[in-house]
Amino acid sequence: MTKIAGKQFGDRIVLACVTIFALVWITPLIWVFMLSFKPNDFLMAHTNILFSPPFTLKNYNDILGTSAVSGWIVNSLIVSIATTFLTLIVASLAGYGFARTEFRGKSILFILVLAGLAVPEQAIVIPLHRMFADLDLHNTYGGLILPRLAAPFSVYLMTQYFKAIPKDIEEAALLDSTPRWKIFLRVVLPLSIPAQATLGIFTFLNSWNDYLWPLISASKPEMYTLTLGLAATQTNFAQSEGLGYLMSQAVFAGLPIFILYLFFQKHIVTAVAGTTVR
Amino acid sequence: MGNTFRKGLIGLAVGVALCGVAQAQEKTVVSFARFFGACEADFGKTTDISKSAGECGIITAMTNKFNAENKDVEIKPQIIEWGPYYDQLGARIIAKDIPAIAVMHEAVLGDFVKRGLVEPLDEGFKSVGVDTADFTAHGKRGVTFDGKTYALPFDTHSWLWHINLNLLKKAGLTNADGTAMIPKTPEETYAFAKKFKAATGKPYFVWCVANETAAYTRTFLTLLYQQGGNPFPKSEREINLRTPEAKKAIEFMAKLYAEGDIVPNTDYGAANQAFMNGDGGIMVNGTWLIGDMVAQSEKPGAALEKGYQTVPFANLYSKPATWADGHSWIMLKGGTKDEKTKKAALRFLKFLSDNDFEWARTGHLPTSQKVIASPTFNALPFRNSIGAIAKSGISLSPTVPRQFRIQEMLGESLSSVVLSKKPIDETMKSAEERINKMLAGAK
Repeated sequence: MTKIAGKQFGDRIVLACVTIFALVWITPLIWVFMLSFKPNDFLMAHTNILFSPPFTLKNYNDILGTSAVSGWIVNSLIVSIATTFLTLIVASLAGYGFARTEFRGKSILFILVLAGLAVPEQAIVIPLHRMFADLDLHNTYGGLILPRLAAPFSVYLMTQYFKAIPKDIEEAALLDSTPRWKIFLRVVLPLSIPAQATLGIFTFLNSWNDYLWPLISASKPEMYTLTLGLAATQTNFAQSEGLGYLMSQAVFAGLPIFILYLFFQKHIVTAVAGTTVR
Repeated sequence: MGNTFRKGLIGLAVGVALCGVAQAQEKTVVSFARFFGACEADFGKTTDISKSAGECGIITAMTNKFNAENKDVEIKPQIIEWGPYYDQLGARIIAKDIPAIAVMHEAVLGDFVKRGLVEPLDEGFKSVGVDTADFTAHGKRGVTFDGKTYALPFDTHSWLWHINLNLLKKAGLTNADGTAMIPKTPEETYAFAKKFKAATGKPYFVWCVANETAAYTRTFLTLLYQQGGNPFPKSEREINLRTPEAKKAIEFMAKLYAEGDIVPNTDYGAANQAFMNGDGGIMVNGTWLIGDMVAQSEKPGAALEKGYQTVPFANLYSKPATWADGHSWIMLKGGTKDEKTKKAALRFLKFLSDNDFEWARTGHLPTSQKVIASPTFNALPFRNSIGAIAKSGISLSPTVPRQFRIQEMLGESLSSVVLSKKPIDETMKSAEERINKMLAGAK
């Protein structure tokens, strides 16, 4: 009885803490959302009046009034979906290779892949940019997608996941002389759906939010992604003179991800929790 | 009959389409890289420049007007955010995706000229009728290297005192004509600040002090130049931050903050807010804010209502001087694919030069002497009092490399002296060493 009462008390404490953390986390989001409906000139003087007038839809109208926005959304979708799809293919094949097959130099190759985890993006951005310039790939979808396919973490994640799948399942199929690629496609790949979901969601989010690489690779406005395009429309002192517009951009750019979350909430929570446990 | 009619219609449609294609092909496209933002919803179709406002609005309307009046040319803006603009421009040069015209701060121009990336424009200007003799002293200095003109100077932007006359009046710091009493020495500034605080209970100054480097450097350089000081007395690659003039300037800034005469902990946006809400008497900030502050002074109930004035940064020492920089337009080497595009780009530069007055409505000072002297310019709010900056405005020598990086590094050190009360000598010695090390490695 005392044990149950103690557990209930503990649960309440946890619940209270979670509620407080959730409030702390959501307050800036509410602030951003409310400021996005305020006139810019009003916000120059007041940023703490959230729930009373004046309100305006002008900031959103300014975004939608930019004719290139729809093109930037399409570019972001093409780049994010293609990057996600191709990363899943590359990481799954590489991960399976490292987890289940034997070949000469496998350990060294895997160490090389892992070494990639230690190299920050900024360290390779100049040689990468020069390489893509030589290949004449800037201002193309290829230029925006290809660099993101070299994803050591993705390969590592899939390798570890494939290693955790019991070998017995494959061995039974191998005894039946089933070709390796068929085992991969029909037996192992379906079992790795949770890992694929995790990887897919994170890859999509990273790709959608990417700014640095599109900034230096896409210089033509028609090739801008949404993050780059929206940032380009900001005036020089937007943090003061265009705060409402800035906030509406944040809401607008986050909206597709929010909608995605509504549809795939269950998978995303499982994915995040799965990554944490793993 | 029906078939013939249909064929005729198709033929006509194809003909019209081909004409359209031919017309589109005839246009010479000039790529135009810039910051200042995009404001298509408000000014996307505006061709009457006088109906536009703000940096973004005016440059957009200018581009629209030129495109509307010059059917054979299309100026194609390639807009990027200000912060990473120069990083992207550098990347574009490496990738040989070079814009025909690009905006450039005069503080940055020297780095690009030294690397041989910028076209000299004297001949081109002559061919389209841009008169370089009409450039203001500051404008000319910023774009001239070894006697050659490398850019079209578009404006001079500088450091002002934005003044809340309502609060100053309350403190007895206004003249009989209602204008602000401006201190003439550091000692007088301290005295005014004390008087102001005693009367209003508020700090005399609003400066952006937190999360900020540029503002510190601009104020420091202004105070240094006013004493006749020079941060690069020996060579363009050796900064000296421990001269008596430099120390005096830093002590002045630190003392005001330590004694509570500057609103504490405000960043750029918060400083603007504090000033607009009447939390301090004088805000030190740029020319670009004049329009916003005038708008505030016209708002009923605002702290600045009918009580705003602006003057160049007060002259507190012997020499009239204020930090200044400028926006300019350059043509990068390899940016125009043929002579026709080059000529079209030069025509657009001439158009921008001819419309320098319109750009001056942003608050920036024009770079044309004729415009500065014109009644239309002087009729704009407060322009007659700040026009002198076109002569007294001082920048670092254009040959000093990596000026934006110097501004950041110096600003960080000044910030740590003012906010964290670090010892001046030690901090400036360390700043000197870091900056000189960086300059030694600069191309």
